[in-house]
Amino acid sequence: MLAYTAGRLALFVPMVVGIVVVTFVIMQLLPGDTAIILLGEDATPQMLAETRAALGLDKPWYVRLGTYFADLARGDLGRSAFLNESVANIIAPRLWATLELALVALLISVVLGMVLGVAAALWRGTLVDTFAMLFAQIGVSMPVFWLGILLMLLLAVNLGWLPAIGRGEPLSSAFGMALAGNPGPLLDSLAHLAMPALTLGLNSAAVISRLVRSAMLETLNQDFIRTAHAKGLLVGRVILVHGLRNALLPIVSVIGLRFGALLGGAVLTENIFGWPGLGQLAVSAMSQRDIPLIQGVVLCFALLFALVNLIVDLAYTVIDPRVRLD
Amino acid sequence: MPKALSENLSLYVGAAIVTTIVAFAVLSPFLSPYDVETMDMPNRFAWPSPEHWLGTDNFGRDLWTRMAEGARISVLIAVSSVAIAVVVGTLIGLIAGYFGGWTDLLIMRVVDIFLGFPPIILALAIIAALGPGALNLILALSAVFWTEYARVVRAVTLAQREIDYVAAARAIGASPVRILLIEILPNVIGPVIVLATLGLGTAIIAESGLSFLGFGVQPPTPTWGWTLAYGTRYLRTEPWLSIVSGLAIMITVLGFNLFGDGLRDKLDPRGVARRVRRNAT
Amino acid sequence: MKINVNFAAAAAIAMAVMAPAGASAEVITLGADVDAGTLDPRTQRDTTAYRVNNLLYDGLVNLDAGLNAQPNLAVSWENPEPTVWIFKLREGVKFHDGSDLTAEDVVYTFETILDPELGARFRSLYTPISSIEAVDPLTVKFELTEPYAPLLSYMDLGIVPSDYVEGGGDLATAPVGSGPMKLANWARGSKIELEPFADYWGGAPAVDGFEFVVVADNTSRAQAFEAGDLSIIQSPLSPQDIQRLEASDDIGKAVMGGVGITYINFNTAAEPLTDPAMRRAIAMLIDQDTIVNGIYEGVDEVATSILLPSSWAYSADISQPTYDPEGAKAALAELGWSDSDGDGILDKDGEDLSIEVSTHSEDPNRIQAVEFIQAMLKQNGVDATVSIADWPAFFPSVQDGQHQIALLGWLNIVDPDRLMFAQFTTGGPQNYGSYSNDDVDTLLAEGRSAIATDERIAAYQAAAEIISEEVPYYVISYQGYQVFYDPELDLEPDVRGMMRSAID
Repeated sequence: MLAYTAGRLALFVPMVVGIVVVTFVIMQLLPGDTAIILLGEDATPQMLAETRAALGLDKPWYVRLGTYFADLARGDLGRSAFLNESVANIIAPRLWATLELALVALLISVVLGMVLGVAAALWRGTLVDTFAMLFAQIGVSMPVFWLGILLMLLLAVNLGWLPAIGRGEPLSSAFGMALAGNPGPLLDSLAHLAMPALTLGLNSAAVISRLVRSAMLETLNQDFIRTAHAKGLLVGRVILVHGLRNALLPIVSVIGLRFGALLGGAVLTENIFGWPGLGQLAVSAMSQRDIPLIQGVVLCFALLFALVNLIVDLAYTVIDPRVRLD
Repeated sequence: MPKALSENLSLYVGAAIVTTIVAFAVLSPFLSPYDVETMDMPNRFAWPSPEHWLGTDNFGRDLWTRMAEGARISVLIAVSSVAIAVVVGTLIGLIAGYFGGWTDLLIMRVVDIFLGFPPIILALAIIAALGPGALNLILALSAVFWTEYARVVRAVTLAQREIDYVAAARAIGASPVRILLIEILPNVIGPVIVLATLGLGTAIIAESGLSFLGFGVQPPTPTWGWTLAYGTRYLRTEPWLSIVSGLAIMITVLGFNLFGDGLRDKLDPRGVARRVRRNAT
Repeated sequence: MKINVNFAAAAAIAMAVMAPAGASAEVITLGADVDAGTLDPRTQRDTTAYRVNNLLYDGLVNLDAGLNAQPNLAVSWENPEPTVWIFKLREGVKFHDGSDLTAEDVVYTFETILDPELGARFRSLYTPISSIEAVDPLTVKFELTEPYAPLLSYMDLGIVPSDYVEGGGDLATAPVGSGPMKLANWARGSKIELEPFADYWGGAPAVDGFEFVVVADNTSRAQAFEAGDLSIIQSPLSPQDIQRLEASDDIGKAVMGGVGITYINFNTAAEPLTDPAMRRAIAMLIDQDTIVNGIYEGVDEVATSILLPSSWAYSADISQPTYDPEGAKAALAELGWSDSDGDGILDKDGEDLSIEVSTHSEDPNRIQAVEFIQAMLKQNGVDATVSIADWPAFFPSVQDGQHQIALLGWLNIVDPDRLMFAQFTTGGPQNYGSYSNDDVDTLLAEGRSAIATDERIAAYQAAAEIISEEVPYYVISYQGYQVFYDPELDLEPDVRGMMRSAID
């Protein structure tokens, strides 16, 4: 397993190189550049030339690309011309924000998905099953941003139960404060998290519920279950335990896939709910042609995806020793 | 309910929905007296009435006609992008799976690179680089979707390659092209079709998301995504626009999903596609 | 027992420390559409930065609600010769870091903003200044290359501490000014937190804090305000939200004419728009009324000319072409356009009349306006197409004169010179449509150098007449300014969105 992990980690390098190159190429093709945005309407050609020189934009492409890689090797992600800050400093807090959102959304989707899936399997063919599966289908078919705005409209504006935008204290520190006796910030954080996480997670909940349902049904139909049933053993517990264990493998893999989808879906959700994460940063960096920042954000996402995939594959072997890594 | 019907419920309901939408798109121009462009500002945001079966939009244009045209366009964009993704992905997957070795390694790294980008960002970047327009939107979506097909096809090909008769064919020296086409491709088609059908739904939602961010097709093209984007701005005071377009997208995607699920039971009963997505590195 | 006592003591201390602060703090939260890029007043470039810096820094003057210059850092000023201005500074002004504000800082601020290396966007507003001199620690003398009437309205530029900047301080991220508020914390992309400056020369502000919260989406921002998460929101807002908020009785509100315009920029160097008669004909096909009252829901005002109603130069008698489809048809026919091949599109000499209408993707109202204009043009025989790209792609193409008809706007028009000089003089830095007219050049130069207001009025009105005839710009609307706020706040609405009145 160690060798496998090392091998996989080694593969990160060409992936990183590839992503940087592709991003660079795309950025070159984008019309408009940082200088124009910085100087705005009052720019004269001379000012533009001066700014471009100051930003190093007038050097040939291979020099710029090479410099970027050289810096990257030293761990330097560059500096944003707009925000006057190192890219790493800009990304770090937002990375936590997006992770927080994605993980909570994942939690919601797993819990919701499992509850629905198990219920649908256990009461197969009844209204419960139909309702659960209908919910699942609709959850997968609904455009995320439509759902988000509707939720905001209902829960924040009309009912006033939840705050419409923004983020509270980071969960980790909020938990700390709660343990120390001050639950206020934690409640506030959760209130801010509720709608974005729900919006983001509903889609995945639907997918997971269907998976759980079919996995459980597979188990339920197996002979040894029926035998146990016939023998009158404690069916409920047996079914649940065996069924869930059978479902575990596909769930773990789907979690990996869904986490990737959640990270991607965060872009729209963060936009709507004003959640200060990587997704919001990506869009604003794009619209400002802030190249070092865009490259940093893209790299961040890519590494996250790859890491999650790796963790999921490793988790596989732990759960089911029969699965071979190759 | 007869067994066949209940088992194939997904398939039939899905097919029914898809057929209805297609019919709507194709037949509407003959049924509706309005055209897509005529504005009628005094009658904006009208609710459904005998004159306007689905009401009017923010410019007073007849929504029935625009939604029908939108169906045609949205579905066309979705089908085109998925088709390109399928062709490109299948080709690449076949090559990677069959030839293995360095070819496979290289190709999978390229796939990793594409997968590393959050899909929306990649699509946004491509559209921003190429400029607005339907064709560029299709290209951008294809660039996001192809990896899925490549991975599945590669996995199936890898598995198929070792099967006796394929190994035998290779031993005889049959040309790779022949083997790919005759032995392997038929096994690949099933899962690919399932994925493609499900992918259509994703494509439609992706298009609406991009239009929402302002990167979709140029107005006055009545894609559902644009209508939904406008509708969201007016959600509080004139919810109808948003409701209609949101529902249209949802129902169509639902139809494709149900249909795809039904197809899966027929074409990919062993869940190859699903299992492969899990295991592919 | 010992342990118990210690535990009790620790618990007591912990409780005391954890107990919430006494009276609840009065913190004003304002919803902003963008995050500030930089908090250096010399290089600021977005509306949020203007507004934040207005609280962080002081200028020599402060513009009041009527856009007139009021003493601020300067207690008095005189203009002994047309090209000389002398400002007398207030005593005892301190910067946030405790140092004193002297004439040296004023000189430094203006010298650096004029330095091309700094890359200040507004440099062109100050280029008529040829030298700045600190006559004594409380007196500054400005010398100009020529008389420059608008100077005073640009003198609200925040003064920066020369020692701090020379010593390596980075104003962009760690601003130090002499204004009533100072920066407490800045969470990039989400929130700017300001706190009162106790040693402010005008007395410490009454509020405990002021926050600028970034919510990009106009609709979400309005919803946040209604949900009570924000205490102030202001333009830009979407018209539907404005209508709804205007109708609400339990919030503070102010709706007024603003200092911006939404307009159509004709590229006079591109066929077929080179002929003013052609531009007039197209202008006559634009239904301002529907755009302003339908799409913008009446929050803006239909424009009549290049002069703003809020400006002292305004005259209701000057009028650009109005919506007149019949007149347009006649004019186009006169110019030789007819539908000779019956395809519904006008043509001449075998070429169809095709025009591209472009705008940027960030503003849904502009997108709708462009869609509407395209439909109107199409209805009247013009083969019109729409082109929408995001700002970084759209704006450079306009700057390069690659557009035909572009819909955009101008803001911060505190003086007619701001809207006309750079835009209409031949070869002017913001003359994207390549417009050129010698009379206009002369008149605008006059307007800039004349000191007597009635001379300036005459010059600008004459220039506006010509512009209404030749239509290098077709002004669609005068932007309104709206602000909605918590009724308990004592806010004096300012058309540029400045918030100084709220903090006392």
